[in-house]
Amino acid sequence: MEKYLNTPIKELITKFPKVGEILEKYDIGCVPCNVGSCLLKDIMEIHNLPEEEEQELMTRIAKVIYPDREINIPKIERKQKPRTGEIKYSPPIKRLVDEHVLIKRLVALIPDVIKSLSVDSEQDKQIIRNSVKFIRTYADKYHHAKEEEILFKNFDENLDILKVIREDHENARAHVRAMLEGLDKKDKKEIAEHFNAYHELLTEHIKKEDEILYPWIDRNLSITQVGELFSKFNEADEKSDKEVIDSCKKFVKELEEKMQNSKEQEVVK
Amino acid sequence: MMEFGMEGCPGSIMQDFRQKDKETKEESGKRQSQLKQWPIQMHLVSPEAPYYQKADVLLSADCVAYSVGDFHKDYLEGKSIAIACPKLDKGQDIYVEKLKSFIDDAKINTLAVMTMQVPCCAGLVAIAQQALQSAKRKIPIKSIVISLQGDVLSEEWVQ
Repeated sequence: MEKYLNTPIKELITKFPKVGEILEKYDIGCVPCNVGSCLLKDIMEIHNLPEEEEQELMTRIAKVIYPDREINIPKIERKQKPRTGEIKYSPPIKRLVDEHVLIKRLVALIPDVIKSLSVDSEQDKQIIRNSVKFIRTYADKYHHAKEEEILFKNFDENLDILKVIREDHENARAHVRAMLEGLDKKDKKEIAEHFNAYHELLTEHIKKEDEILYPWIDRNLSITQVGELFSKFNEADEKSDKEVIDSCKKFVKELEEKMQNSKEQEVVK
Repeated sequence: MMEFGMEGCPGSIMQDFRQKDKETKEESGKRQSQLKQWPIQMHLVSPEAPYYQKADVLLSADCVAYSVGDFHKDYLEGKSIAIACPKLDKGQDIYVEKLKSFIDDAKINTLAVMTMQVPCCAGLVAIAQQALQSAKRKIPIKSIVISLQGDVLSEEWVQ
C-alpha cells in the first residue's frame, strides 16, 4: 500500500478507475483535474478528512488495488487535528473567501446571460464586455493577484496543489480571451461555449479553494505569516482603485436585477 | 482529579490534579527559557520597547504559563509577551490603551491572547478586542483557551 500512497493520483486512477469513483464519493474531485500529479498520501493530508472517514476511504481504495488480500492501512501523518464541523479561516484567508462571494454572484448569472444573449443587440454585447471587465479587474487583478503574488509566495511554487490552482487561473484567462474573440466575430456559439466553460471552471475552482486549498493553507501558515499576509492584503487593497472595485460591485448588482426582471417578464408572458 | 466544593466562582474552586503525575512520563534534560525581555507584567511593559516593534505579541493570563507544560516551547518562542490577570488586576482601562498603542504605535504583527477556561479569564480577550476596535490599524487576533490541566480547549481567530 505504501507504494500506492506515493503514486501520482492520475496514474492511480488510470490504472484503477474505481479509485476515482471512490474519491468522488468523499468529495475529492481528482478525476477531472488536468494536473493529477498529487500523490495519494498528499491528497489525504490536503483534504484532512476526519480520521474514521479517512480510514474507511483508504480501506475501500485498498480493496480495489488488492481485491484478494487484507491490507493494513498505514497511518498518514497529519500536521494538525482532522477537520470537524464548520471551516474557520484566519483573517487574511477569510478576506479571500469573502471576495469569492461577489465572483460567485456573477458566475451564477452566466447561464441566464448566455440564454438571452443576442450578438446583434448592443446591450447584450455590452453585458459581455462588462462581464469580461469584471473578471479581469475584480476576479483576476484584485483577487487572483492576491493569491499568486502574495499568498502563494509563502509556499514552494512547485507544490502540486498550487500548480492545480494556477492552471485553473490560466484556463479561466484563456476562456475570457476566447469570449472576446467570439464577440469580435459576432459568434454566439463561441461566446456561449467559453462563458459556460468559465462558469463551470470557476464554480469548481472556488469550491476547491474554499473547502480544500484555504483550510490547507491555514493549517500550514505560522501566526507570523498570517499577520504579514493580513498587512500585505491591506496594502494591496489600498493600492487598488476603489472606484473600479465599486463599479464591479455595482455591475453585478445591476445585472442581477436585470436578469431577475427578464425572468419575471417571461413568467408574465 | 478531585474537586472540593462546588459553590462560588468557578475560577476559585479548589481542585487536586496530583493523580496526573503518576500517569505521565518524567522527562529528563533542561529546557531553555524562551523569554527574551523584561518586564512582562502589563502595567510595567512599554509599547515603545524595541522587542514589541512589529512583533507577534502574546498576551497571556497569569495562570497560563503554570498550566501549560510546554508553554515556552509551544507558545512563547519567537514572540514578545505581556501578562495580566483580568480577574484581579486593577486599572484595566490602562490595558486597553496600552494594547491600542501596541497596535498603532508599535505596529505589532499579531496578538495571541491565551486565557484559562474559567469564565473571568474571557475578560482578557474582551480587552484585546476593545483595543483593536479603538485602534486605527487592524491586526489578526487569536484566542487560545487552556484547560485547568493545561490542554488546549480551543484556538481560533477572533478578529
